[in-house]
Amino acid sequence: MADDGADEGAQDLAAENAALGLALAAAHAAVWGYGVVGAALEPAARGTAGSAEAAQRDVRDRATALLAERSVEPPRAQGAYALPFPVLSPVDAAALAVVLEDGVSAAWVRVLDQAAGAGTRELALGALSGAEVRAVGWRAAAGQTPVTRALPGL
Amino acid sequence: MSSLRAPGPRGFSRRTLLAASTAGLALLAAGCTSAPTDQRERVTGEQADQLLGQVGVQETLVAAYTAAGAADPVLAGEVAELAVQAGEQLTRLRAAAPGATPAAVSPGTPPSPGEARSWLRAQVATAATSHATACVRQSGARAALLGSISAGLRGQDGRLA
Repeated sequence: MADDGADEGAQDLAAENAALGLALAAAHAAVWGYGVVGAALEPAARGTAGSAEAAQRDVRDRATALLAERSVEPPRAQGAYALPFPVLSPVDAAALAVVLEDGVSAAWVRVLDQAAGAGTRELALGALSGAEVRAVGWRAAAGQTPVTRALPGL
Repeated sequence: MSSLRAPGPRGFSRRTLLAASTAGLALLAAGCTSAPTDQRERVTGEQADQLLGQVGVQETLVAAYTAAGAADPVLAGEVAELAVQAGEQLTRLRAAAPGATPAAVSPGTPPSPGEARSWLRAQVATAATSHATACVRQSGARAALLGSISAGLRGQDGRLA
């Protein structure tokens, strides 16, 4: 029975690590995407994109460190990613930022579902909350309604 | 000119990542996980009680939206969508908490018209913090739901600022 419990624990951690890997991949994509967002914004608005990118880098680094502590090879960033639509204006940029943050939110909700430990849930919750708060601002900038979501990431 | 597309199948493009996330979360939203006997989905008595408690927290928040709207009709119109979302969150919480039944709750002393917004914002923040605390103590789909609701309320808090 003890062996069964150990196997179950290992399986739980493997599921958590897999979900963390997806969240890390989403963070890589968001960091890259915010470069596109910032380039399409008016200069006065680029600070917001820069702050969002910094937040994604912080989450990325924390997830990378957590996986490295477990000797799990973290997914690497790609050189480039396919854009879902042309980003030619500040409104397009805000809409892309919404896509980025919504993608990140979905990945971190998945981590909450798969997490085996409270520490990982705390990390996921912080990342999810930050993503939704930023997404609210981007939805408003993109002219989307409603600007809030009842269940972000679900 | 370099391509904006991912160079190869290794890793995830943003599109493929979102597709993968959507597939996984469709199961999550339906209340399903990979294994019914998964450790994460086992509910202790304490966790079940806590989830019922979070239903009460959300009921109080829904009542707060009603009270704030009654105190300030202009605010009521402004936050109508937020109130609807709080109700949606309550519905999902009740569905996740077996034994939860609708209860009449009071959010406390109704606000004066001039204070309705700040009072409501404090109620939203309190509920968000409560759900966040509960999220960390839960696991599996229950943790995901509470975390999502908490994040949604953080977004509402920012909107009310």
